[in-house]
Amino acid sequence: MARIMKGREASIVILIIAFIAIVGSINSKFVEGNSLLLLLSSSIILFILAIGQSFVLLTAEIDVSVGSTMGLCAAICGLLLTGGMSVWPVVLIVLLVGAAAGLFNGFGVAYLKIPAIIMTLGTLGILRGLMIITTGGKWIEDIPNFFKKLSTESFLGLPIPIWIGLILVAAAYLMLRLTRFGRYFYAVGDNADGARLIGIPVAKVKMIAFMLSGISASIAAMVFVMNIGFIPNQTGNGMELQVIAAAVVGGVSLNGGLGTVWGAGLGAIFLTAINSSLIYLKIPAYWNNAISGLLLLVIVISNSKFQDYLRNAPFKRTAFVKGGMGKDEKADQSSA
Amino acid sequence: MKKQINLLLRWEMALVLFLIVEIIFFSMMNPQFLNVTNLIFSMNDYVYIGLAAIPMTFVIITGGIDVSVGSVIGLTSISIGVLWTNGMEVWLAVLIAVAISACAGAVNGGIIAYSNVQPLVVTLGTMFLFSGIALVISGGNSASGYEGISGFPDAFVQLANGLTFGLPNPLYFLIFFLLLFAVILSLTRYGRQVFLVGINMKAAVYSGIRAKFILIWAYVLAGVGGGISGVILTSYFSSARADLGAEAVLPVITAVVLGGTSITGGKGTVLGTGIASVVIGMMQYGLQMMSMTSQETSVVVGFILIIAVLLRLAKWNNIRSFVKFRSHAE
Repeated sequence: MARIMKGREASIVILIIAFIAIVGSINSKFVEGNSLLLLLSSSIILFILAIGQSFVLLTAEIDVSVGSTMGLCAAICGLLLTGGMSVWPVVLIVLLVGAAAGLFNGFGVAYLKIPAIIMTLGTLGILRGLMIITTGGKWIEDIPNFFKKLSTESFLGLPIPIWIGLILVAAAYLMLRLTRFGRYFYAVGDNADGARLIGIPVAKVKMIAFMLSGISASIAAMVFVMNIGFIPNQTGNGMELQVIAAAVVGGVSLNGGLGTVWGAGLGAIFLTAINSSLIYLKIPAYWNNAISGLLLLVIVISNSKFQDYLRNAPFKRTAFVKGGMGKDEKADQSSA
Repeated sequence: MKKQINLLLRWEMALVLFLIVEIIFFSMMNPQFLNVTNLIFSMNDYVYIGLAAIPMTFVIITGGIDVSVGSVIGLTSISIGVLWTNGMEVWLAVLIAVAISACAGAVNGGIIAYSNVQPLVVTLGTMFLFSGIALVISGGNSASGYEGISGFPDAFVQLANGLTFGLPNPLYFLIFFLLLFAVILSLTRYGRQVFLVGINMKAAVYSGIRAKFILIWAYVLAGVGGGISGVILTSYFSSARADLGAEAVLPVITAVVLGGTSITGGKGTVLGTGIASVVIGMMQYGLQMMSMTSQETSVVVGFILIIAVLLRLAKWNNIRSFVKFRSHAE
């Protein structure tokens, strides 16, 4: 089990290194100087969103509203900043908005028992509309310079947004790994009924997972505002699908209970690497979606076939691995 | 008496009632709304939702989902445009484009049937893939990514804009789809097997049903639904664009779920989906007449989706047996 778990993230690490090596060998500019740092910077929004999404996916739910949550939070952040409010109250309000959106999702899923895909699809429409209503359909420009400058200022050689991402992923990883409450997320996703029987507050854990996803969307929104400096109407459109793709590529299972936050983060970096490599490979930008889609399919299918192989391989049939087999059989049923 | 009450408590009846309430509400808000000609012609704006949603019902009954339908609409649209600009007869181009959409569905279904990957992830991947292919086709054809191809022959434009017996053509498409798929779902062996696959995959396999075959065909049908929807949209706007239908996923899935199909599979009707797509379309049209933008209407559509599922999840059987009890007592 532990070896398979390790394999899940190892494959994405190998993929990223191989991909960077291949693109770098074709065009050496891709690996020279600041390019890799730039790659990290441009992936940071997806990276932060993927961390939040992992919590939800670990509990075997899904949140497709993160893109629109991010859009709404970015709009509110922009409006408050252009309105002359100082930084800390803005940060607090935006975080609260994200948390509230997550709370709404979480309440519907955990307590009203609405299937997560439906609940968050509904929220997606609601928040998208709310964003247009708050901005009045206009783009927000003139973000104060002190806020935009945050994205270029660096600390110990790394820009502030990257630090935010690194701190979040470290905090999330340690929480999931070391705290009792962190392990609950895995338990709930692996076997909700079992978790309930041993006294884990399943509904509460799910609700908190959605809240964390909402909060990560609001943090991503603030990074977006400082990076881009203006907020178009379509901010965050389609982001939700990229985030889920990133998490899945990074080895987080949609069946719950499997995967890590840093795997999801690496998945985000990988997807961004594909996008930004096209420039270096002199491929027109409209190839972007086709290549990402194809790679996503190849990765998930080969991963699934690899897991099948591991399950059927006779030398793996030890008691230890059997502990993990129950999970795979569950995957069979729900995917069928 | 009992029979009538059961009929009244059916979800489809609730939807029809809701539709009537909706029409009354909007006509109170704006007397212009109750113009029958307007109401019928407004259907042109949203018939494509129904066309994509009706076959999607099959996929959701099997317990799957297809989020790539929006991309299939765009892919079909741009294929028609590109084939036509390269000198092909427009109807042949339409036929080939629909065949492409069927292949897209077969790709979805094939991967889902032959791997352990969840339908959501697979169609997420193909969503990127198909919309990417659509962009590549349109980008490779001199037209930059989002620019449309227009100037189609009149006969093709009339397909969605013309009238037959005084009614707009798309309406006939919707009715034809409703009848065709309702018959497939409730009267054929294939339809019953779709339900069984959705209720219990393992039982379906053990009872000798070719479950993989059933699954693949469900996705092919959903692909063709997206394809026809793309044809109608292309003809309606008389322009072929790669990003046509990019926003269609939310209303299409909302229509299926609002129509009473269970997202976990095993339950659903084509008629419900059809009525629900009219409910949603009418809602969008009415709200737009109250001068709301299409993004603002998505707030309402989102709430309806959530509330509809809540109502479906409510313990209707208790209420039903309560009503039965009362009628017996009388």
